[in-house]
Amino acid sequence: MKKYILKRIVYLFVTLLVIMTATFFLMHSLPGTPFDEDKISSLSPAQQQQIYASYGLDQPVYIQYFKYLGNVFQGDFGTSTLYSGQPVKSILASRIVPSALVGIQAVLVGLAVGLVLGVVAAYKHNTPLDYLTMIVSVLGISVPNFVVAALLQYLFGLKWGLLPVAYWESYASSVLPSLALSFGVVAQIARFVRTEMLTVLQQDYILMAKAKGLSPAKILMRHALRNSMLPVLTILGAITVNVLTGSLAVESIYSVPGIGSLFVDTIKANDYSTILGLTVFYSAFYVVVILIIDVLYCVIDPRIRLAPAKE
Amino acid sequence: MKKIAAAVLTMALLLSAATGCNSFTGNSAEPASQAGSGAAKPTSVSFYLENEIPTLNQFAASDNIAFTVLNNISEGLYRLDMNDEPQPALAESCKVSDDKLTYTFTLRDGLKFSNGDAITSKVFRETWLEQMKADAKNGYAFILTDYIVNGQEYSEKKVGADQVGIETPDDKTLVVKLKAPTPYFLSLTTFVPYYAVDMSFYQKQGASYALGKDNLVYSGPYMVTQFDAASGVTLVKNPNYWDKDNVKVDTVNIKIIKEQSTALNLYKAGQLSRVKLSATDVPSYKSSKEFTTHTIFRTNFIQFNTTAEGTKNLNIRKALSMAVDNNTLVNTILNNGSEAANGVVPKSMSSGIAGKTFGSLQGTLMSYNAEKAKEYWKKGVEELGGQVPQMTLVLDDDTENKDVGTYLQSQFKSVLGIDVNLDSKTKEARRSLMKTGKYQMGLNAWGADYDDPMTYLQIWTENTNSFRGNFKDTEAADAYVKLIEEAHAERDTAKRADLLVQAEKSLVVDNAVVAPLYYIGSAYLVKPNVKNLVEPDSGILELKYTEVD
Repeated sequence: MKKYILKRIVYLFVTLLVIMTATFFLMHSLPGTPFDEDKISSLSPAQQQQIYASYGLDQPVYIQYFKYLGNVFQGDFGTSTLYSGQPVKSILASRIVPSALVGIQAVLVGLAVGLVLGVVAAYKHNTPLDYLTMIVSVLGISVPNFVVAALLQYLFGLKWGLLPVAYWESYASSVLPSLALSFGVVAQIARFVRTEMLTVLQQDYILMAKAKGLSPAKILMRHALRNSMLPVLTILGAITVNVLTGSLAVESIYSVPGIGSLFVDTIKANDYSTILGLTVFYSAFYVVVILIIDVLYCVIDPRIRLAPAKE
Repeated sequence: MKKIAAAVLTMALLLSAATGCNSFTGNSAEPASQAGSGAAKPTSVSFYLENEIPTLNQFAASDNIAFTVLNNISEGLYRLDMNDEPQPALAESCKVSDDKLTYTFTLRDGLKFSNGDAITSKVFRETWLEQMKADAKNGYAFILTDYIVNGQEYSEKKVGADQVGIETPDDKTLVVKLKAPTPYFLSLTTFVPYYAVDMSFYQKQGASYALGKDNLVYSGPYMVTQFDAASGVTLVKNPNYWDKDNVKVDTVNIKIIKEQSTALNLYKAGQLSRVKLSATDVPSYKSSKEFTTHTIFRTNFIQFNTTAEGTKNLNIRKALSMAVDNNTLVNTILNNGSEAANGVVPKSMSSGIAGKTFGSLQGTLMSYNAEKAKEYWKKGVEELGGQVPQMTLVLDDDTENKDVGTYLQSQFKSVLGIDVNLDSKTKEARRSLMKTGKYQMGLNAWGADYDDPMTYLQIWTENTNSFRGNFKDTEAADAYVKLIEEAHAERDTAKRADLLVQAEKSLVVDNAVVAPLYYIGSAYLVKPNVKNLVEPDSGILELKYTEVD
């Protein structure tokens, strides 16, 4: 187990290096520079040369690449050009907080509600309750979250005045964005749990449990749910990363100072260091979450733990 | 199962505990613009910016968002009054020499930054020298080096600071020597890059300057009490401001709202004092008492490439410019408060002659004429050997530009009977295409840096930019450059204005290098209790005079 995790960590760093390299060269092949070209063109050639030099942009791309790598290994992700002079690290640190809070709440609500709906639907298979649940989850998947966000904002914020319309001023500000984001999560989880439960409920060991005379609740919680959690865990990783790293639409509708729009804004502005910092952050986060999920598999399903390593 | 659930819950709790507490910006107190009846109750107004605040470092700020905040927390020698005229601010007065080359500013007594540091003429000299450095992050070095004696040379590190034409005989006197007479120099000093920065504080702060509210010092009407690039700023009155008695509002909230519908909801909920309307909302609010429109000094136009296939022919360019009906474009397509353009220079721009706008001197340049457009097109096609050229228009990939592009496409089709391709690209990609001259026509825009036609007309004389359209090395282009050079050297304001009028005519009519489309405007709703909210033509909000009742 230890060896397995170690190996995975080494792979993790290789993956990050590849991603970083690819992003670096792709990004530098985008047209334009990090500066407002219309403004720069008012400067004399000598002045232009100086401004490029002060950002190290006058050097060949491969030299910039190795310099950047060197800095990253020392933990320095550089400073942003769009948010002039702000260290990339502090931009990420301040932006991730609101996004993560909204995201965690959305995942928790989504997971809780989704699980309940899924289990109920499976248990009451082919009854009105099942159909209702599935209608809810089809809606949740097909209605885009910005529509939900705008609707919630109008109803709870403007019409009834129960929660803040927008801004990020107190805990109450995080409720509506979290709810808006959790809709999709609920739908996805509910559908997954239902399908898995239905398969599991037809297994022989469930029949066996019934034959032993266990109560339906016990069968459901002890035997069925645990075994249907495995695939749910797989998508939960992707959902978590997706939701925690912010949603462009929901964040801009509620004016949440999150990380959602940062990618789009910085790519548009050719803000090289922030684009790279973000990419590294996203991929590191993703890879780590995948690792955690893989480890969790072993916890949930002992069979995986027992599988011998190939070498 | 329980273990996992417990683990997930603990993790979540820990995370939200660790993250949640400090990230909220706190309540912005009472609803905006609901000022108290008596003097005792503090007054506040709330505005918003449509994108995040890139920086509050004056040497790095280059867009209207940063300028809007900086303009209200810093101050220059002069400041625009409610009629857009420069009035003495930190300077008490200014004497201009007879040859119009030497400006002697006298500062007010007892000026102080918010931290108590004195504002002296040396502060201005040091600030300006810093801004003149070529690697000043905002790329705005030219806004000083173009005018001040030896500025360019200092910027290119050819001469020392002592040879630059900024002198400080004593703490209250600032003498500025200009290369050429500049009728708009006083209005330049109302522009943020000319404002005073506490240089000793700036140097002490080093890389952390302006990163937070405590890393800044203020010379303007307000100071920052809360600053977050992504959620906005809160401003309060600066107690050390020289004219603090005339600042009527205690608190100004400036939020970041990227979504127009959110802003409108907040306005309806009474949390914003002013909201910008999208074109689709304009019809439903047009009759409201709170409805206003406002154009700024920013012109959108078609830039022709004078050496590309097809557009190299003058008659083809003339035909294309005449085929566009700017009034229809503005009134039915955009419908957002924009105004049909007559030339590249906005009509209300100052001509340098007191009391006369440039528009009043220029008269009508552009008019839609389908018949003439057809004639020119026929002539042009003949000159090109009978071959009808295939045309492509490059444009930015945002909604407004796409709407305009589609309109142009349909107009070219109905008037000239040609199919024009639209090629939408990111701004950077479009600029880089246009800079390297690989295009036929492009949608482009330019906003004024100062209140003088030169800010527009000069860009067709510079080395390489995305505007030139390869309009160079021909007789006509040389004649244009000559007009601009003569205007630069002319000391008589009337003659200078006339040269600029000729230059614009040559650019737009005689050579059809550009086809002006519209001056960008916006439609707003403003709460009736907000008075004297001034938005100068630069589009940079002026909040000093704002009152709430």
